[in-house]
Amino acid sequence: MRKSWIVALAALAPLYAENIVIQNATILTVTKGTLQGSVVIKDGKIAEIGEKVMMPQNSTIVDAGGQYIIPGIIDCHSHIAVDGSVNEGSVSVSSMVNIKDVINPEDISIYRALAGGVTTANILHGSANPIGGQTLVLKMRWGKDAQGLIFEGAVPGIKFALGENPKRPGNPQGGRGATPTTARYPATRMGVEDTIREALNEAKAYKAEWDEYGAKTARGEHPIPPRKDLKLESLKEVLEGKRYVHAHCYREDEILMLLRVADDYGFKIRTLQHVLEGYKVAQEIAASGTGASTFSDWWAFKIEAFDAIPYNAAVMQKKGIVVSLNSDDEELMRHLNTEAAKAMKYGGLSETDALAMVTINPARQLGIDSRVGSLEAGKDADLVIYDKDPLSDFAKVQKVWIDGHLYFDRETDVNGRPAKALEKQKLIDKEKQSQPKSAGGRRPA
Amino acid sequence: MAGSRNFLFGSNRPFFGGVFGAAFAVRRKGVTVFFMRKLVPALLLLCAWAIAENPRTLAIRNAKIVTVSGPVLGKGTVVVRNGLIEAVGENLAVPAGAWTIDGEGMTVYPGLIDSLSTVGIPSLAVAPAPAGRGGRGQSTPTQTPTPATTPATAATPAPPAKGPEDRPATTSWVLAADEIDPSDHRIESVRSAGFTTTVTFPARGIFGGQGSIIDLASAEHAGEMVVVPAVGQYLAVSRGGGFGGFGAGFPNSLMGYIAYIRQIYLDAEHYRLVQEAYAHSPRGMERPPYDRALEGVIESKRILLPANRVVEMDRMLRFAAELKQPAILYGMREAYRAEAALLLKKYGSPVLVSMHWNEAPRDPDPEADRTMRSLENIDQGPAAPALLQNAGVPFALYSDGLDQPRDLQRAVKKAIDAGLARPDAIRALTLSPAEIYGVADRMGSIEVGKIANLVVTKGDLFDDHTQIQMIFVDGKQYKPAPEPPAGGGRGATEEPGASQ
Amino acid sequence: MRLPGILIGCALAAGAASNNTVLIRGADVYPVTSEPVNGASILVVDGKIADIGAKIAAPKGVRVVDGKGLRVYPGMIDSGTQLGLSEIPSIRETVDTGELGEFMPQLRALASVNPDSEHFTVARIAGITSVMTFPATGGGGGRAGARQYISGQAALIHTSGWTWEDMAISGQAAVFVQFPSLETPGGRGGAENIAGPAGEGGTGTFTQMMRTYREEVAKLADFFDEARRYQKAKAANLPGLVRDLKYEAMLPVLDGKVPLAIAAATPRLIHDVIQFAETQNVKIVIVQPRELGSASTELKAKNIPVILGRVLALPRGQDDPYDQAFTLPAEAYKAGIKFAFGTFENQFVRNLPYQAATAVAFGLPEDEALKAITINPAQIWGAGDQLGSIEKGKSADLLMTTGDPLEIQTQVKHVFIRGQEIELSSKQTRLYDRYLNRQ
Repeated sequence: MRKSWIVALAALAPLYAENIVIQNATILTVTKGTLQGSVVIKDGKIAEIGEKVMMPQNSTIVDAGGQYIIPGIIDCHSHIAVDGSVNEGSVSVSSMVNIKDVINPEDISIYRALAGGVTTANILHGSANPIGGQTLVLKMRWGKDAQGLIFEGAVPGIKFALGENPKRPGNPQGGRGATPTTARYPATRMGVEDTIREALNEAKAYKAEWDEYGAKTARGEHPIPPRKDLKLESLKEVLEGKRYVHAHCYREDEILMLLRVADDYGFKIRTLQHVLEGYKVAQEIAASGTGASTFSDWWAFKIEAFDAIPYNAAVMQKKGIVVSLNSDDEELMRHLNTEAAKAMKYGGLSETDALAMVTINPARQLGIDSRVGSLEAGKDADLVIYDKDPLSDFAKVQKVWIDGHLYFDRETDVNGRPAKALEKQKLIDKEKQSQPKSAGGRRPA
Repeated sequence: MAGSRNFLFGSNRPFFGGVFGAAFAVRRKGVTVFFMRKLVPALLLLCAWAIAENPRTLAIRNAKIVTVSGPVLGKGTVVVRNGLIEAVGENLAVPAGAWTIDGEGMTVYPGLIDSLSTVGIPSLAVAPAPAGRGGRGQSTPTQTPTPATTPATAATPAPPAKGPEDRPATTSWVLAADEIDPSDHRIESVRSAGFTTTVTFPARGIFGGQGSIIDLASAEHAGEMVVVPAVGQYLAVSRGGGFGGFGAGFPNSLMGYIAYIRQIYLDAEHYRLVQEAYAHSPRGMERPPYDRALEGVIESKRILLPANRVVEMDRMLRFAAELKQPAILYGMREAYRAEAALLLKKYGSPVLVSMHWNEAPRDPDPEADRTMRSLENIDQGPAAPALLQNAGVPFALYSDGLDQPRDLQRAVKKAIDAGLARPDAIRALTLSPAEIYGVADRMGSIEVGKIANLVVTKGDLFDDHTQIQMIFVDGKQYKPAPEPPAGGGRGATEEPGASQ
Repeated sequence: MRLPGILIGCALAAGAASNNTVLIRGADVYPVTSEPVNGASILVVDGKIADIGAKIAAPKGVRVVDGKGLRVYPGMIDSGTQLGLSEIPSIRETVDTGELGEFMPQLRALASVNPDSEHFTVARIAGITSVMTFPATGGGGGRAGARQYISGQAALIHTSGWTWEDMAISGQAAVFVQFPSLETPGGRGGAENIAGPAGEGGTGTFTQMMRTYREEVAKLADFFDEARRYQKAKAANLPGLVRDLKYEAMLPVLDGKVPLAIAAATPRLIHDVIQFAETQNVKIVIVQPRELGSASTELKAKNIPVILGRVLALPRGQDDPYDQAFTLPAEAYKAGIKFAFGTFENQFVRNLPYQAATAVAFGLPEDEALKAITINPAQIWGAGDQLGSIEKGKSADLLMTTGDPLEIQTQVKHVFIRGQEIELSSKQTRLYDRYLNRQ
C-alpha cells in the first residue's frame, strides 16, 4: 500500500516541483542567440540559461538530448476559449461587451493549442463590427479556471474591424441574412470610417464629462458623477492610451484611413491584424509605430485578400515594422512554428527573425515582452521542447511548460489514450444497457 | 373542479358552534337521553356534511408524520385550524368538533415547494419542442430553462434593440403575483404530485421581473394565492431557443447579455443617486426621468442567475459579486462535479437544482460522437443533489418544466436512487426552499403556527407505487387528479424542449 | 546500337531550338520509383524525359540548366483541387463548381477551367505541376443546398498551358459522386451544450436518418441501373435509341475504364461505398476519409486507393486524440493502402508538400510521403505511364529545389511542365518586387 503512494507521489513530482533543469538541448533564445546547454527553472521563472548551469537543490532533471527548446509561442489573434458567439453583431459599435466575461477554460482548443506549442494567446472579439468588444490575453494554463487563464498585467484591448466583414450586415444584396429591414449601418468602407469617428467623437465628449467631474471633486465639490456608459468607457480608455486597439484590416486604403483617424484622435493603433496589404503601405505603418500581425500565406478567399502575398511579413519587417504571424484559427494555431518557417521561404528571413514572429514580436505587440517571448533569465518559464528543429515541419512538440508547470507532455498524452477510451466506452456501454432496444438495424440495403 | 365544494365554507361557522353549544346546554339542563340520542347525532351528521369538504378544524390521526424540522413521528396527529397548523405531536387530543381523518397506514409530509416555476402564468407554459433541436444551432451554451415563446410580445414585435438604452427584453417591474391566473391547468396537475406551493417567476426575457410565492389553492382571486409577492428578480442570458445573428437586435451574444445586465445595474446605481439627490433638494435641479425598469431592479432584494456548467457557475457567482447582488443560481446541471461544490461553498450562495435530468438521446446514431462530458452528465446528473448535500451546500430542487405527477415523482426518485437520502430529498423540496426564500418562518415543515400545507400519502413519498391520498393547501383539502391512461400524459413533458 | 542514338540525334536536331528540350546537368536526381542518384543529368526532348544518366553530353544548341547543389524531383500532383474552376470563394460569380441537378455525370470540369486563373501560377511556381480539378466540393449538395448525387467529371490537368486543351492530361479522370451520408458534423471543441436532454448533433432520430439514407442510396443505384440499360441498348444497336448525354458519360464508368471518386468519411460509409461499387461492378477511389479503422483491411484487400484530405485538420470529436488527422496517413500506409494527398482548397495547393511533411512527423516514412504526391496520384488517376516519376518516356514535369521539397525553407529554383521551363513569377512575386522597392 505504501509503495503505491510513493509511486503516485513520484509521478506527481515533476508537475509540482519548483526547480527544473532541462539539459542537453539546443536552446533558441530568440533574443540572445542559440546555444547548446541547459535551462534552469525556479519558482516559475527562468533562472539561468547556459552551456553550463548551477543546478539548484531538489531539481527535477529533464534530459532533452537532441531536442530543441524555444520560448512558448504567442498567437496574436485567436478566438478560442470563448463561450457563445465571438461577435456581438447586432450593433456596429459593441465596445461595451468584454471577452473577459465569457472565457471558457474548458475549451479543448486550449489543450490542442498547447500541443502545438502555444503558451499565450490574444483572444479577440470577432470582425462583425467596425468597433467590436473588449479583448484580453490568456495563457494556455489548461486545467485552471477562467481567472487562472488570464495573463496578469497584460494591457486590455479592444477590437476594431475594417473592410468587408463589418459592412456585410449593412449590405442588402450580398450580406449574409441582411434584408432591407435589417440592414445595419454601415454598408460601405466610407460608413465604416464614419462609424468609428462618430464613436470616438462621442467618447471624447464622454471623457470631457468625466474629466470635468474629476476636476470638480479635486476642488472639493461633490457633484453627482456622470452616468457610466460601458460602451464609451472602453473608448475613453482608448483615447487615454490605456486600452490597446487591435484592428482587423486588409486593404491599403483602410489601413491608412485608420492610422489617420487615430492621429486625429490622439492615440495609436497598437496592432493591425491580418493587414494583408500592409506591404503596400509599410512605410506609413512603420512611421506610426503600429505593429502588424498577419497570416503567412492565406489569400484569395475574399476579394480584399486577392492581393495578399506570402512575402507580406518579410516586407513589413524589412521596412521596420514589428511583425507577428497569427492564426485566427484553432487548427492553424497548432503549427505556428511552421507558419514562421514560411517567412524564411518567402522573403529570406533568418531562422531567428522568423521565430521572432511567433515569440518576441507578438510579445512586444501585446506589451508583455518583459515577461514572455524569449528565453532570458527573469522571464516566465514558458517554453516548448520540440524533437527536431522547431522550424522544420517534421518537428513535433514534446513538452510545454507555462510558469514552470508542465502543461503538456506528448508521452503522457499518448500513453493515456487507451485508459480514456476505455472510460468512455464504459459509459457508452452502461447507457446502452439501460436503454430499450431501438428498432431497425444499422446496415443499409 | 375544486370550486364547487366550497359553497358551504364560511357560512357554517356560527351555525356549527351554535348547535353544538345548544346540544350541550340542553344536556346540562337534564333533557332526556332520548333527545340526545336523536338530536345530537342528527345535528352532528348535519355538521359533518356541512363541513365535510371544508373543515375549519381538522385533525389527521394515527399517521406517520414527517415534520422535516424535527424527528419523524411514528404515530402522530396534526391539527389544522384556520389554514394553519395548530398542533402536531403524538398522543394529541383532537379538539372537539374537528373533522377527523384516520391516518392509519398514511404518511403526512409538508406540502412540497417548487422553487422555480412558471405555474400560475399559463402563457409561460413550455410547449413541447419540435424534434431535432440539435446542439449546433445555439449561439449561447447557457441554455436556461426559459420557455421558447414570449407570447406577450409576439403580437406586436418590438423593433430590434439598438443598444442597452432600448432596454431589450426587460420587464423588471413585473411581479408574478400580478400575473397569476388561477385557471392555469398546471396548478392542479402539479398539486396532484404533492406540491402545495410554487415560487413562480415571470420567466421571460433578460430581466423577467420578480417571482412570487404562490400557494396552489383553488381561488377566485389570484391575490388569495399569494404568500409573498416579491422574492427576487429573474435573470436570463439568452432569449431561449431563438438563434441570434444579425437582425435579432441587441444583445445577441452571451457577452452582450452580460454587458447589458452590468449596464442596467450601473444605471440603477446612478438613478438611485440622482433620485435621492432630487428628493433631498429638488429646487434648482433638473427633474430626473422615471425609469420603471430601474425601479424594478432596485426593488429586487435578490437575483436569480442561470448556470449549468461549472464554468457558468464560476462566471455567474463572480458576476453577482461584482453587481453586489445576493444571488441564487438555477439550473446546476453539472453540480455533480467536485469543482461545483467547492465553488459554491466558497461563495455560500444557495442553488436551485433542475430535476429535469438530461437523458440519453432516443434512437441515437450509434457512431455519433458522444462527448465524455455529456455522457457523464447523463450518468451522474441525478447524483448532484446527494453531492451538494454531503458538501453542505444549501440547495433546493425545482421542476424545470416538468408538470405531470408521474414525471415529478420519477425525477425525485432518480436523485434518491443516485444517493440522496429520502429525508434530504424531502427537505430539498420543503424546508430548504423556504429557507432560501426567507419564508421558513411560515412554511416548509410541519410545525405549530406554520401554514397548513400538507401532503398525505400511502407509502413513502417518491416511491414508485406510492399513492398521494390528499393534499392540503392553506388547510383546504384537495384530492389528486385522476391519473391519465398509462403513457398518456407523458409524451409532452419528456420532450427535449421542456427545459431549454 | 547506333539507331537509338541516331533517332535521339534527329529528335534533338528537330527540337534543339524549341523550348521543351533541355539538359539538366549535375543535380541530385530523385526519381521516386528508383533510388536517388547524385550528380546526374536529365535530358528532356520534346517535353519528354529522354535520358537519365551520370553523364549526358550536352547536345548542340540545347539549353543547359546547371543543377549543381540542386535536387530534381518529379513535379508534384495534388489530388484534390478546384483549380481553374474557382477563383474567390466568397464571390459566387468567380466559382464554377457545384452545379444544380441530382445526376450530372455529363458535366465536364475540364472545359470550364480558366487557364489564366491566378491559382495556377501560384501552384506551379511552387512545384505542383498537375492537379485533379473537381466539379464540386463534396459537401453533399449542389447549389442552394439541393441534393446532388453525381457532380460531373473531374479532370487531371497540368497547371500550365495556353488553353485547357493544352493542359488536359485526362478530361475524364474520374466521375465525382457524392454518396449519401449519415455523418453529423464533428465536434470542434467549443462550449458544451448540456442544458437540455436532447443530446448533441443529430437532426431527427437515427431511424429516420437511416431511412432517408437507404432511400438515397437506392436512388443512386436506380440511376446506375438506367445507365446500364442504356449501355445494353446501345451495344445491341437498338433502333430509335436517342443519345443521352448523361448515360453516355456513365459508359466508361460501367466499362471499368473510369473510376468513381467518392467522398466517404467513416469506416461504415466506406464499407457501404465498397459494397455499392461491387454491386455496380465499377471502380472507385475513396476521397477524404476522416477515419479508416475497420475499413482498412477491406480497402487493402480490394486494392481500392484513397485520396487523403488535409492532414492539418482538427480531430473529428471533442475527445479524440489531438493528432488524429496527422496520424491517418501513417495508418493508411501501415494497412497497405495506396493513397495520395489532396489539399482541397485552392489557396493552399502550394502547401501540398507541407501537408505530406506533417504526416511524416507523425509516422509516415518520408519516401512514402513523396510517393503520395507524385507516383501514387499519377497511377491512381490512370496516368502512371506519363507522370509521377523521373523515368524515360514520361512527361518532363520536374522541379528543382535547394533541398527537400517537404521542408518549408526549401526554395524552388526551376519548374518544368512538359519540358517547358516555367517562369517563376506570379502576381504575388511581382507585387513583392514592386512594393519592396517602393521609395
